[in-house]
Amino acid sequence: MEDTAHKGRRFQISHMNMRKIHGIIFVLPWLLGFILFFVNPLISTIKYSFHKVGVADSGGMSLEYVGLQNFIDLFTTEVSSQSTQFLRIFTDENVDIFINTPVIVIFSLFCAILVNANFKGRGLARVIFFLPIVLGLKVVVDLTLVTTGGDVANASISQTFDNGFILDFLREYTFLPRDITRFISELINGVFMLISQTGVQTLIFLAGLQSINHSLYEVAKIEGANGYEVFWKITLPLLANITLFAMIYTFVDMFLKSSISTEIYYFAFNKNSIGTGSALSVVYLLNVLIDLLILMLVINRVVKPYDSN
Amino acid sequence: MTQTKTSTKKQLNLYSVKESFKKIVFWYAFISLIVGLGFAILYPLIKMIPTVFNNLEDLGNPDVVWVPMEFSIVSFEAAIRLVFGNGMPMVQSIIYAAAIATIQIFVCALAGYTLGRVNFWGRNIVMFLVILTFVVPPQSLLISQYLSFKNFDILGIFTAISGSTIDLINKPITLFLLAIFGFGVKQSMFVFIFRQFFKGLPKELEEASLIDGCGFYRTYFRICLPNAIPAIMTVGILSFVWNYGDTYYTGFFHPDGPYLSIKLAQTFSAANVNNILYAVQTWYNVPGANVFAFDAVKQAAAFIYLLPLLIIYFAVQKKLVQNFEQSGIVG
Repeated sequence: MEDTAHKGRRFQISHMNMRKIHGIIFVLPWLLGFILFFVNPLISTIKYSFHKVGVADSGGMSLEYVGLQNFIDLFTTEVSSQSTQFLRIFTDENVDIFINTPVIVIFSLFCAILVNANFKGRGLARVIFFLPIVLGLKVVVDLTLVTTGGDVANASISQTFDNGFILDFLREYTFLPRDITRFISELINGVFMLISQTGVQTLIFLAGLQSINHSLYEVAKIEGANGYEVFWKITLPLLANITLFAMIYTFVDMFLKSSISTEIYYFAFNKNSIGTGSALSVVYLLNVLIDLLILMLVINRVVKPYDSN
Repeated sequence: MTQTKTSTKKQLNLYSVKESFKKIVFWYAFISLIVGLGFAILYPLIKMIPTVFNNLEDLGNPDVVWVPMEFSIVSFEAAIRLVFGNGMPMVQSIIYAAAIATIQIFVCALAGYTLGRVNFWGRNIVMFLVILTFVVPPQSLLISQYLSFKNFDILGIFTAISGSTIDLINKPITLFLLAIFGFGVKQSMFVFIFRQFFKGLPKELEEASLIDGCGFYRTYFRICLPNAIPAIMTVGILSFVWNYGDTYYTGFFHPDGPYLSIKLAQTFSAANVNNILYAVQTWYNVPGANVFAFDAVKQAAAFIYLLPLLIIYFAVQKKLVQNFEQSGIVG
């Protein structure tokens, strides 16, 4: 009796252990890839960024330790392929990303709420609203862009979407400061760029909206809440985690598409200075991580009060 | 008595009029928002239609904006002749994207299952690493990844066997290697989606199969994977679309490959404008074709390129939301 119980327990433990071993076998490809294609390149990138990389006499690579020289060069003497200073590129990109990320997320939440409502032709509206998943691909955006005669193209866009009236209205009749009206006008002008980034986020938000328990809305209705209250007290708090995910997704996506990544290529392969290119990579990487940290801190502050409910 | 009755009736009428007026205004605003946003999304496509069907010599004429004066499909012919050829590149691209998508689904589902279901030591650390690889842009590792593929070696094994490292740049196997080991296009996100899905799968399924005598692998392949259809569909669609449109991995690690995306990017690069214009002018005998013809040909190429994506997209769009909702990213 005691023996079998003991055996049974031992079997259970070893079964659990077997399960763990099998599980580790399942992640093994990914872990191998992590070492091969992530840790290894990361370490060598950092290594190259402190070295002057050249071709040795034997045909291999020669490394010469130069300390922080690559980083100093990057921000003082080196210029990008468009001959701008790197400090400027980094500030511009960061400002752009920090402004555009919330706008894209809010915009896609808005889109998701629109197509979540019940109306005739909802299927068609959804098809169109998710189309940016396909139309937002970089190669498609590049192809559909009118490259030649850019002035004509811009003129035709502003003809189609004449925002002069709105801007005049904002400037003359509301007492908004100049900077805010300029910000709004920039958003309107960049609306195609914004829209082309929203597909996946709209999908994420719509899935989130549909996962909200319908009885909550019924309760709110019975209690006499209006649409405005329902949105702020039910929809938004329950979407807090999804918003975080959409935010990070947008953020990473924006960084992927930023011009810094093409500069890395330019340094490494066109200018043949691997050291400086690696230094740029390291700065770029640190920039992403620090920005994400800031983003997380800010979001945590906003999301936490909702989370406890 | 009668007076009060009429007054309430009147009030009621007023109320209902107010309500229906409110409804109409709301409905009008709502529909105009939907239509407006839909139009803004479709605008790049709509704008292309008159251009690609226009006679090449009429392009740039300020009198012709929306309705072509002469209908012509020369831009399509030129695009096909320049890029698509006999259709082989497109077939190859589709096969490539489908193959990579299959590999990504397989590898990510394995990793996601373990991360969501098996409580092994260090699971949280691995999860953290997955998220870390998601937020680190692959471009920042480009240089050393490129160099390590240029002199590919695992722990000095290849050097020991053949005496030198292997050059894997410009070979299709590089892209497959990346996908197999979990570092293809946005693969960390796919691992994350699978992990979330498997985490939400009822535990009873596994227990039942265990009691019926299935081992770990059989439980996974017979029970868990077939139940993961929503997640598989979601990852499959996104992976296919992103791999079909990928110019980063294909462009750097296999630039001479038959992939349409890089072929298009190379053919229609800004440096190539005059060559293409010259080719179009001589092929189709349109000496009056100007720079706008370049855009027309380019956009016609974009149309053809998008065709398979749009077909697949329309075929699966109904399931897309449903699957995404069930795919567990929400949970």
